Amino acid sequence: MELICIGLSHRSAPLAIRERLALPEPQQLEVLQRLAQAPVEALWVSTCNRVEVYLAAPTARLGRERVHAELRELGGAEALEHLYEHEGEAALVHLFRVASSLDSMVLGEAQILGQLKDSFERGQGAGAVRGEMTRVCAAAFSCAKRVRTETAIGRAATSMASAAVQLASKVFDGLRDKTVLVVGAGEMGELAARHLRQAGAGRLWITNRTLSRAEALAGEVAGVARPFEELLSLVSAADVVVTSTASQVPLFTRDNVGALGKGRKGRPLFMVDLAVPRDIDPEVGSLDWVHAYDVDDIQKFVAENAAARAEEAHKAGGLVAQEVARFAKDRALRDGMPVLARLRQRAEGIARAEVERTLAALGDDLTDKQKKSIEAMGRAIVNKLLHEPTARLRAVGPEGDGNRLAGAAAELFGLTEESGAAVPGTSPAAQAVSGGRR
Amino acid sequence: MSHSLVSLACHAYGLAALVYFAYLVRQSEVLATTGRVLVGGGLVLHGVALFALLGAQGGLPVGPAQGFSSLAFLLLAIFLALDVRYRRPVIGAFLTPLAVTVLVPGLLMESGPSPLPPAVRQPLLPLHVSLALLGLAAFAVAAGVGVMYLLMERQVRAKRFGLLFSRLPSLEFLDTLNRRLVVWGFIALSVTLATGAFFVSTAPGVGWTWDAKEVATVVAWGVFAALVNARIFAGWRGRRVALLTMAGFGLVLVSFLSSYDLSSATRGMP
Repeated sequence: MELICIGLSHRSAPLAIRERLALPEPQQLEVLQRLAQAPVEALWVSTCNRVEVYLAAPTARLGRERVHAELRELGGAEALEHLYEHEGEAALVHLFRVASSLDSMVLGEAQILGQLKDSFERGQGAGAVRGEMTRVCAAAFSCAKRVRTETAIGRAATSMASAAVQLASKVFDGLRDKTVLVVGAGEMGELAARHLRQAGAGRLWITNRTLSRAEALAGEVAGVARPFEELLSLVSAADVVVTSTASQVPLFTRDNVGALGKGRKGRPLFMVDLAVPRDIDPEVGSLDWVHAYDVDDIQKFVAENAAARAEEAHKAGGLVAQEVARFAKDRALRDGMPVLARLRQRAEGIARAEVERTLAALGDDLTDKQKKSIEAMGRAIVNKLLHEPTARLRAVGPEGDGNRLAGAAAELFGLTEESGAAVPGTSPAAQAVSGGRR
Repeated sequence: MSHSLVSLACHAYGLAALVYFAYLVRQSEVLATTGRVLVGGGLVLHGVALFALLGAQGGLPVGPAQGFSSLAFLLLAIFLALDVRYRRPVIGAFLTPLAVTVLVPGLLMESGPSPLPPAVRQPLLPLHVSLALLGLAAFAVAAGVGVMYLLMERQVRAKRFGLLFSRLPSLEFLDTLNRRLVVWGFIALSVTLATGAFFVSTAPGVGWTWDAKEVATVVAWGVFAALVNARIFAGWRGRRVALLTMAGFGLVLVSFLSSYDLSSATRGMP
């Protein structure tokens, strides 16, 4: 099976395009079921920053055509212009990076892993995620876990919500005497409420369509739950509004927010929209007493502050490469093609030995970063060199021609049964499935 | 001697301006302290020189050179007080260059004790002049803060998260500071006008002539009166207020400059 990733994210597509593909859950399931017709498996990942489809299909071409057709239907031809595609190992690397929050708007934020796991569960429930995709996801989750525990990226990271709080501090001189309204008590709303409480917000109001959820969150962050029906009068009294609802149409328009201007006597209003599709119509920002920011603005702000996290991201990138290699080796064994596993093991052994020799020769003059770069280079050469033969061997399968090719490879590289290392007893993917799930 | 002291102070202010620019680029506590020490040191030298000079004249700056010098002194004194109170050294990057710009022409002009026309020898005159200068300095700082507000507002609106965005204080802080400075400046200006009106009505040989200085002062007073009212009663703030502050400062500056016969003062320039 070939893994394919087709999607668009905050890196490739503007918010307006991403909004079109942000489907409500029932519609997501319909698309998923159309895409995942046996033997194809599919995973639909949708967050406020990305919409991605992962397919495990016998051939890349078969899967790609189906996905293109669906995305054209949903987002129009324009959406296709913003797509990126990854195949095989590149798709694997991409998924692992996404799960480890290395591709996030806010590097290292923890939300993405939960969102991926939700997508995974939905896919399983719909029967779209089966054997191969389960293994792939489990390996991605386990990689994310390793990145989180072995690097400081999660600690250094701020979430979108904390970026929003930082932006508010450029309009207001502290939030102590301010009234802050959080609209939507979902995961993002909860994060925002916690950060705002931490930032010392004076009054913290929480509103949600279902009042009980607002009450639950208000209890946790020492806020006050307010009825959703009073939304506009709440906004009229607030200084800061952070909104993240699942509404498919904007809650705030130039008309309904503009009408509040008179009562506010020019008092500035800072609005942050963390929802996709947007809760705040872009026109609202043209009111001269309103400062409105959407997820793309936050992303821009975060990017300017990202330099500090670059080092940890570098380290995390090395971990992802290791995990991808481990998964590839594991899969090769599973595919009944031990020759691939042995080939990879041999190559990795050589690379490791050469790297060690080089590092020893260079002595103590190297910084940790330089050492890590050399190690990563060794792994990257192995991965690149083996990509083509691995893909070809896997494409023809273990039977017939594949057997002949495998035999040739074994002959060519001297990979006899004895020369390969022992096959690991339990695969990391299997371990991750049992231990890595929530 | 006083001239060389002021010249030394001017160099300290110039250096402080460079230090504050560096602070704008690279925020560090060392730079902030260095700037503070340079401005403080300059103010001590400058203060000693002014005290000696004005003491000999009954506490009254005479001529544009001394006027400019006193203005620069008050402007930086206000800045230093704000810096100690609020700890926002970045304001220095905007105010120190302004103070140096004001002081340099004062240094280049002929200075030294000058006799005062007997007609205006009034016991209240030193109060009138020092309050006028203090008001002008407060408006100058308010205008500088207004410029910072406009710059910051542009960054916030255009969502440009560059150097200025990360360094400038919040919009609310700048707006509040502007309000305080304008209120204090307005009080000083009002007393200046009242004492001025008193001279006009009592001193022999001095009359209300509707010259540029008087007109500009009255119009500026009107602008600031409207501004203070609009802030209190109509809730005006932000960009409009910043722009009006700058316009009002321009008028007070015209009034200040037209107090002096600059063409005669520049005769002593090298």
